[in-house]
Amino acid sequence: MFEMMQRIRELSVQSLVYLAALLVSAIFIWILSDLVRGGIAHLSWEFLTESPRDAGRAGGIASILVSTILILLVALVTAIPLAWATAVLLAEFIPITSLFGKVVRFSLYVLAGVPSIVFGLFGNAFFSIYLGLGFSILSGGLTLACMLLPILTATAEAGLRAVPDNYRLSSAALGMTRTAALIHLIVPAAAPALVAGLLIGIGRALAETAALLFTSGYVDRMPGSLLDSGRALALHIFDLSMNVPGGDAPAFAAALILVSLLLCINILAMKLAYDLQRRKMMI
Amino acid sequence: MRNHGQISLIIAGLLWLLAGAVDAASQRLILTGSSTVAPLVGEMARRFESQFPGVRIDVQTGGSSRGINDVRKGIADIGMVSRQLKQNENDLYAFTIALDGISLIVHADSPIVSLSKTQIADMFTGQITHWSVVGGTDARITVVNKAEGRSTLELLLDYLELKNSEIKPHIIIGDNAQGIKTVAGNRNAIGYLSIGAAEYEVKRGAPIRLLALDGVQASVKNIHNGSFPLSRPLNLVTASEPQGLIRQFIAFAQSSQVHDLIKSQYFVPVDAD
Repeated sequence: MFEMMQRIRELSVQSLVYLAALLVSAIFIWILSDLVRGGIAHLSWEFLTESPRDAGRAGGIASILVSTILILLVALVTAIPLAWATAVLLAEFIPITSLFGKVVRFSLYVLAGVPSIVFGLFGNAFFSIYLGLGFSILSGGLTLACMLLPILTATAEAGLRAVPDNYRLSSAALGMTRTAALIHLIVPAAAPALVAGLLIGIGRALAETAALLFTSGYVDRMPGSLLDSGRALALHIFDLSMNVPGGDAPAFAAALILVSLLLCINILAMKLAYDLQRRKMMI
Repeated sequence: MRNHGQISLIIAGLLWLLAGAVDAASQRLILTGSSTVAPLVGEMARRFESQFPGVRIDVQTGGSSRGINDVRKGIADIGMVSRQLKQNENDLYAFTIALDGISLIVHADSPIVSLSKTQIADMFTGQITHWSVVGGTDARITVVNKAEGRSTLELLLDYLELKNSEIKPHIIIGDNAQGIKTVAGNRNAIGYLSIGAAEYEVKRGAPIRLLALDGVQASVKNIHNGSFPLSRPLNLVTASEPQGLIRQFIAFAQSSQVHDLIKSQYFVPVDAD
């Protein structure tokens, strides 16, 4: 009797876990199939190579893709060195109990909880108006960089902490300097975590609408420089579905492109991390 | 070798930035404001740029209030405002470039074709709860309201002389497309949206009907001749008497050269015939 009860309990827990996992992937597949159904008819080579016309109902998204990628690059180039350097400091150079580390960590937690529209208003006030960058890809990218800092730092710190202390002790025993151990051993060992954090950050940056509305702006022209205003892809999708009657089909198509872009970046980044780890550690 | 490549890439990037800074010195206009007007003005700007090479017009959004704010602060040259200016905004100069109207909509199967202002006000405040009171079937009315901050909501409240807190909605929606889907999927719903967008959706076969208001048919024609009561002007505003390029662009936006653009965004030109 007791055994019977136990087996039933075991089975039901197992099936609940499976059900939850199935539900998670079902949501993803549902969204994806919805996007494909709504957008596939509107997709064409011209959609990728032309600039939008007629408020986005005709033409393509070439200029918007370029702006999006430029904004993302500015954000990453600014945020990655700052975030990863901070993570190295927090994980490697100061004890976990130090007051300074606590202050830094606390400010990052607060930053992580700030809604993106607040970043947008801050970016508008600071980068666009105070620093005089105006509505530009540069101020949009820098605003995004502020948003990415907590994500990149927290994931990188956790990744570095997950590297076993044996590595540090053995490298010290071999007479390696701390820097050398960091570059050749610990960072490569933590690479998957760094890349995972990077991917979350890129995902958040590509999906960002509110923070970019007031910073990189709404102009859908092909950007001529980083000081031009350029509309991000997520903002374009938002605008098509909210403000443009008859903009549904191009909005679906643009969303499909956004998701595919995200998938491509994910695959590429995972491959890079794998290669780095193998080159550095498996020789 | 690899390092050389990287360095030259960085230098190229810096040069590009500088080139941009120089480029930015050419004639440039910045517009901010209403997200309803922005797609239209964006198209106007594109045509204006193609006629006057060397001019760059950047159109930004953020809502009518932002447009007014930015013009006052001098951040924007021209603001876009999708309503009449208020009493305390008399310091600004407004130029109407197009009109927009709002229509009450019901499902196409509904027998109702016209409602009066008081009937609508009673429905939206929950005093009339069944369609039978106004000559329909004995079904409960589903009131579809817009979310706070939408200028169509402001305009309707203004017309009905109500506050948003007095409205008892069953469904609150964001954009026009959502409004159409909600009403098309519910035979007992009543909602409202921009007439241009509604007429376009009816043409595309959406099962909705535009209601006449106090006997006046909700149509682009009646907005234009001024007989339809629920309409709003789409304005460009400036902080001072417009000069030079600003004046040129406003004149362009009010000219008949852009009427096709206004119509293709489902708005109504001011002096078209």
